[in-house]
Amino acid sequence: MTTSTDTTSTRRSFLKGGALLAAPLAAALPAAVVADDRLRARLAKLENEAAIRELHQTWLRRINTGAGAAATPLFADSEGAAFDQGVRSIAADHAGQPDAIEVAADGQSAAGRFHCAVEIETTIAQDCTLARMAHAQGGGFVRRTERRVLKVEYVKASGAWAIAKVEFASV
Amino acid sequence: MPGTPYPKEQTHRIAYTKLTEQQIADKLSKVAVSGPTSASPLSDVLIGKSIRIVTDKGPALAYTFSRTNRLSVAENGGGAVDAGYGALTLSSVAFFSHMIPGTQRGYAVVIDQGTNLATVFELWFSGYEDNREVQREIYYGYVEQPGQEAPKARHVTTNRVEGKGFYWKQDTGAETLEFYPSAAYSNFVELSRLGGELGFCAPSDYIKINDDFYIYTRTECEFSGTFTAYVMDLNRVEQVGVRLGFDSNDQLEYYVFRGKGEWLGQIAQFEKFGDETGSPVPAAAAGQTPAKGARRVYRPLRTMAKMSKADVDAAVAKRASAFPAATTGPGAQMGGNRGPSTGWLAGKTFTLRYDHAPAMEYRFDDAETLNWRKEGDSGWTKARYQAWESTPGVILYGHLLDGAPNHDGHSIVVDFHQGLVTCFNGYLNTPYFANEAGVKILFGVIEMEGLIPPKYNRHQFTDEMVGRAVSQNYAPGLTSMHLYTTPHSLSWIIFTDADAGGLEWSGPAAYVKIRDGLYFMYWLEEACNGTLGTILVNLHTMRDVGVGYSCGTNGLSMSAVGAHERLAGRFDITRFYQVKS
Repeated sequence: MTTSTDTTSTRRSFLKGGALLAAPLAAALPAAVVADDRLRARLAKLENEAAIRELHQTWLRRINTGAGAAATPLFADSEGAAFDQGVRSIAADHAGQPDAIEVAADGQSAAGRFHCAVEIETTIAQDCTLARMAHAQGGGFVRRTERRVLKVEYVKASGAWAIAKVEFASV
Repeated sequence: MPGTPYPKEQTHRIAYTKLTEQQIADKLSKVAVSGPTSASPLSDVLIGKSIRIVTDKGPALAYTFSRTNRLSVAENGGGAVDAGYGALTLSSVAFFSHMIPGTQRGYAVVIDQGTNLATVFELWFSGYEDNREVQREIYYGYVEQPGQEAPKARHVTTNRVEGKGFYWKQDTGAETLEFYPSAAYSNFVELSRLGGELGFCAPSDYIKINDDFYIYTRTECEFSGTFTAYVMDLNRVEQVGVRLGFDSNDQLEYYVFRGKGEWLGQIAQFEKFGDETGSPVPAAAAGQTPAKGARRVYRPLRTMAKMSKADVDAAVAKRASAFPAATTGPGAQMGGNRGPSTGWLAGKTFTLRYDHAPAMEYRFDDAETLNWRKEGDSGWTKARYQAWESTPGVILYGHLLDGAPNHDGHSIVVDFHQGLVTCFNGYLNTPYFANEAGVKILFGVIEMEGLIPPKYNRHQFTDEMVGRAVSQNYAPGLTSMHLYTTPHSLSWIIFTDADAGGLEWSGPAAYVKIRDGLYFMYWLEEACNGTLGTILVNLHTMRDVGVGYSCGTNGLSMSAVGAHERLAGRFDITRFYQVKS
């Protein structure tokens, strides 16, 4: 049996090796904490974005099902829920740019930009016989679809996201 | 000397008696036992049969037919009741009707004996604030066949009848022209009962039995409230049906009838290809469940402002507006497609010499201001006007006559190529409601420097538009269709969101030929909103321009009318309006 000094395991060599290993381990602790913070921040960002996306989808469902009044609790301020009553539906515009949600560094506010196709209904004034008849049969409106950018501001209140402001901008 | 067929009061002017429930019950009690009358022999096709009709969301009806006019009926497994009935057949279709004794209810039933499918109309009085208006609910079902599964198919509402028109002659001698330009309404002209002067409109149902046979109903809402239903064979142009209601003398009409007719033509439909759905007008508002028998009914007289002469004078004194500059406001949308106005009249001076009315002298300051006076008067009156040159040399313009005792407004077509003028002279303080417009038709000539007018030639009344259907798009979402059903009336159909014909109404009208393809016409929205509509229809450009004249609590208004048009076809009906002797 042959032995090699290089591979001979002795208590001394173990200690030496252990010391050598122990040095970088001790030096890496602050970096791990930083990485953990980054992960935590990233996780928080992803969680915020997911919560905002869910909030956005809930709001869209309520608008698209004609339950606009039920969307009010989604707003931080009920006055902010005042919304163009003519909007009948909002659909994602897949020919537009991807949805973008930017959460502020403090995680307390965010802004969303959503390219969408908006169906807008305009009521025809009942100022002539034809218009009155159109209303009498359940019509009396004009609908058109326009490509818009939906700009939404969000705020976090009591740990939950709410809509602060909604506005449509031209593409 | 033969008398005329015309009624003392037209259908929309009759003050129908508000019959009480008791009055109606009393009159129904006899016919419930005897059954409907019939000018034709009743069918014996059902005699000796016992059948059970099952409907999807309605009653199960067990019938036993003992004689040609006697049946017993049990509703929903209840006790059997004896009643009179009348049945007629049309090919494989059996049609019968009866009332339920002791009630104000009854049924009209259609059975296709080939398929055993059935459509049941439950009919009743005293279901609306006007008791005499017959209500109906429609149930679809089948005749139960022992040992057989229930069929899955049903008769269905349809728009396949939309656009058709027929002349019908019932075995009673009653002759009508009936047009189905809508999937929810219809237009009927009573040729024999009322002389065919005016056409009227009523909410209607259209139900498909198969590709050749259809069921039609109408309820003469806002009028007598009479209900008519029939099965029609589109190929043989034959019908069997029932009429139930109280006439203008409160006489109960309850009879089954057989009729034959003539096909009058087919006008266009505007739904998407492939759309054959019926009932385009929802019975109830979105999100609401319709009540039994519910349907959308246009009831214009209920909402119309009904003003006295004093009311009118006060309203006009407060506000009289012609062609407001703003693009919004009363009637603005009706002028959405009027096109640019013309300034050609600016600086011109002429006299319109009418044959049977005072001559009117004009001085035009600019494109929107004129001065008028009646010949012989010294002072001029300034007025706002607008003018459109529909075709070269033919201009339509309108203005109010400030100070006229009946608050007149003129809609005028001046034809400089012929030296002729036609004026629809609108006025208020009419007999039924003071704010309802009336019209005088003035023919005459233009006297103008350099223009020698004809001595005898005039624009003429014409029947060239009679039978035509022309759609008008006034503005986005505001589209209608005119159907010129008689030489003296037209109807207008409002399209639904799916471009199906929806509500329809009608009014007195007249058509004046200016030249080939150019017609000046008016309609009066009598017992409706009181408006006088006037348009110059150019069949070459398919655009109309015109003037609306109306008075309400907000005052007197003259506004522009203008639409892009489409020809929707024509019914062959002028022959029905020729005097025969």
